[in-house]
Amino acid sequence: MKNLTLVVMLLCYSFASSSGDSTIHTNNWAVLVCTSRFWFNYRHMANTLSLYRTVKRLGIPDERIILMLADDMACNSRNQYPAQVFNNENHQINLYGDNVEVDYRGYEVTVENFLRVLTGRHENAVPRSKRLLSDEGSHILLYMTGHGGDEFLKFQDAEELQSHDLADAVKQMKEKRRFKELLIMVDTCQAATLFNQLQSPGVLAIGSSLKGENSYSHHLDSDIGVSVVDRFTYYTLAFFERLNIYDNASLNSLFRSYDPRQLMSTAYYRTDLYQPHLSEVPVTNFFGSVMETIHTDSAYHAFSSRISNSKIKSDTPFNQPFNQLSEQDVKEDLQNTNNQNDELKTEKQKCPYSEMRADLHEKLKKIENVDTMVNLSIAVMILVVMVSSSLL
Amino acid sequence: MTKDDGEMVEEQKKKPCRFWIWALSSVLFRLILISYAGNLNLSSRPEVSTPLTSIRRLAEGYWLKQASMSPYAGSMYHGSPLLLSLLGPLTVQRIKGQPSHLFCSLVFVIADILSAILLRGIGKKLQMAYGLNARLLGLLKSPRDKAGILPCGDIAALVYLWNPFTIVCCVGLSTSPIENLAVILALNGAVTRRVPLAAFGLVMATHLSLYPAILTIPVIFLLGYGLDAPPLKLFLQTRNVESGNRSSTSSASKQAKSKPTAQLPFLWKTVVHFVFWALVWSLCVMVLCRLSLSKHGGLEEMFKRTYGFILSIEDLSPNIGVFWYFFAEVFDFFRNFFLIVFHVNILFMLLPLAIRLKHRPCFLAFIYLAISSLLKSYPSVGDSALYLSLWALFVNELADMKFSFFLFCGYLGVSLLSPVMHNLWIWRGTGNANFYFGNAIGYACFQIVFVVESVSAMLNHDRALKKCNPNHQKVKN
Repeated sequence: MKNLTLVVMLLCYSFASSSGDSTIHTNNWAVLVCTSRFWFNYRHMANTLSLYRTVKRLGIPDERIILMLADDMACNSRNQYPAQVFNNENHQINLYGDNVEVDYRGYEVTVENFLRVLTGRHENAVPRSKRLLSDEGSHILLYMTGHGGDEFLKFQDAEELQSHDLADAVKQMKEKRRFKELLIMVDTCQAATLFNQLQSPGVLAIGSSLKGENSYSHHLDSDIGVSVVDRFTYYTLAFFERLNIYDNASLNSLFRSYDPRQLMSTAYYRTDLYQPHLSEVPVTNFFGSVMETIHTDSAYHAFSSRISNSKIKSDTPFNQPFNQLSEQDVKEDLQNTNNQNDELKTEKQKCPYSEMRADLHEKLKKIENVDTMVNLSIAVMILVVMVSSSLL
Repeated sequence: MTKDDGEMVEEQKKKPCRFWIWALSSVLFRLILISYAGNLNLSSRPEVSTPLTSIRRLAEGYWLKQASMSPYAGSMYHGSPLLLSLLGPLTVQRIKGQPSHLFCSLVFVIADILSAILLRGIGKKLQMAYGLNARLLGLLKSPRDKAGILPCGDIAALVYLWNPFTIVCCVGLSTSPIENLAVILALNGAVTRRVPLAAFGLVMATHLSLYPAILTIPVIFLLGYGLDAPPLKLFLQTRNVESGNRSSTSSASKQAKSKPTAQLPFLWKTVVHFVFWALVWSLCVMVLCRLSLSKHGGLEEMFKRTYGFILSIEDLSPNIGVFWYFFAEVFDFFRNFFLIVFHVNILFMLLPLAIRLKHRPCFLAFIYLAISSLLKSYPSVGDSALYLSLWALFVNELADMKFSFFLFCGYLGVSLLSPVMHNLWIWRGTGNANFYFGNAIGYACFQIVFVVESVSAMLNHDRALKKCNPNHQKVKN
């Protein structure tokens, strides 16, 4: 019976622990890249800014977003609505509000800078706001939009990022432990070819179209005069606009929401490098920043992932079959360890000295207001000094 | 005769009034300075606040404690948890419109006044002992001659209150007034033979900063042998000469004329009493510290972070001492060796001085304090304030000290140049660490000359007494 529970426990841990690491997920980063310039590529800017807004709304702060915009549409001389960028012809949301922080702008968006951001190999003078300061517990969302083709992505109409460059950068990131999980989302033509060469574990990639397919824009805004959003991003945003920060929708539901007929292309995703089941991964693992908090009285101690896993309470229906089993087993295991601890305690209690110490410890823990007691004792000490010095 | 006595009584009454006027005016001066504390910005000076005495670190430690973390987390606070529970709540309370940490400044002013009063008590006893010894040695004939003896208690207390170093430490919110108070409490208890008080003062002083532990030797001497006095030989010689004068032919005088081999009696009972009380107080302090740190690592953590920090010199930020510069450039391989060398430097001076100056335990305490403030890991001007005022207790004996003007100018020059060099180095960038360290070396040199000269002046005083004695007796004859 014990062996069976152990085996099941191991299986559960291997499923429940993310990407086989012993690190825990500590923070979320987003790298949002728009690679095309010129006024007719307004929609790429709008794509990126919409995703920026979504990601910020769901909790990732500006310090952990690297926004790279290759051109300035909001203050473009052709923009009829100066300082405003829209992703819909109803002009309901102004994406270029008060708190947009662009980290790389204009001609700074180059392949070299992009790769430097990913790998973290910057010159000394590059400020922290332009660096991807992720660590081994980070989940990174990498969103790229622009013009692309078979195994390449065009940057600034002048150079291109090839799929093996991207794969190489991701491999470097993995070796330098700059991410725990990475979600690459590409919205270009023939997007799925861009992540053909990826081999690093912990990477999930989705592209808006397969090889040989184009990705299309959604609609034209006759007021502004150009298309304002791409289809893939439009339907992604449609999915997210229904969510708030507390929702538990899974990546699976996001990926299944893409309808090839509406997209006019096939949204293809590869999960062979990504261990966890997509139905168990909430979207806020990448697109937002919702962390489980475990209250502890002691500070500056790192806790192991096993404790955090055993305390996960998931309410969503698709999570129940797996986690019910794991919770029961975890409870059994905890009971077993408790029994063992009790046995050890009864052995130790035979020694009276340790009994006394244990009693003292309990009493000390019960005293809540230690500080007033200490202050009172100091006052008593000083009184005793004064009395004894005047008497003797 | 009666007129002179009356005048003397009046003078004696005037002196306490004058003392209290000066004392209260120094308190007023401090209160005025405290209201301008923001402009003076003294609490950020390295000469005033060290990693051990800074009030900001104490406030940080208190905040950490309130956030249910260990007060030593983050290596900011390195003091006693008892001080934290006393002063911590005061750092948080603010009155609108008043300078920050106002209540702490008031506590330090009270500590200064108490130290001054206790110093006065020590000085009175020393003055009485001086007069008594002088009469016993036959140097003074009548109580009227006592007018020649300076009131060292008043002088020492006023030197302590009006010393710019003390004022700067009090206004600059460093906890050295409290450490000084503990040391002076120990000395007062030992001098006035109040054993529990002496033990309490010594235990608290050692608990707050490690170095006053070396004061156990002078305190034990004070309790065992009594107050400062000229060497025993002088008294025995005087007795021999007197007995020789009275009966020159008796056999008893011939016996007495033989070499005096008597030793001063050592009061073991008082010393054992003192040790008992010291153990009681240390036990209390340990229990209280254990209580306040029960959730945060206990006594081990406290010792590691307070005494361990002092002994291992982890913080190398500049101060007026000489260790930081050296340990910034020493190789790791030799670091432990040099730590041992620097700390043994204090320890190996203890025994020879104790042997040479055991007849003057109060002066021995002053010398120990001067040496420890010279060679401690994180010195500040508060330590100098303490030993300079203890020096003033011995004005009667040290009146003929050489180089006093040179030393006075030296101290003045060093204390004025130190902020200048610091500014040049840190803020303007036109100087470098050598400027500031040169100043610190100069300060150390002046302190060394001061200590050496005071010891030699005291020993010269004893030799002069020895010379004076037979001459005096010859004149009498």
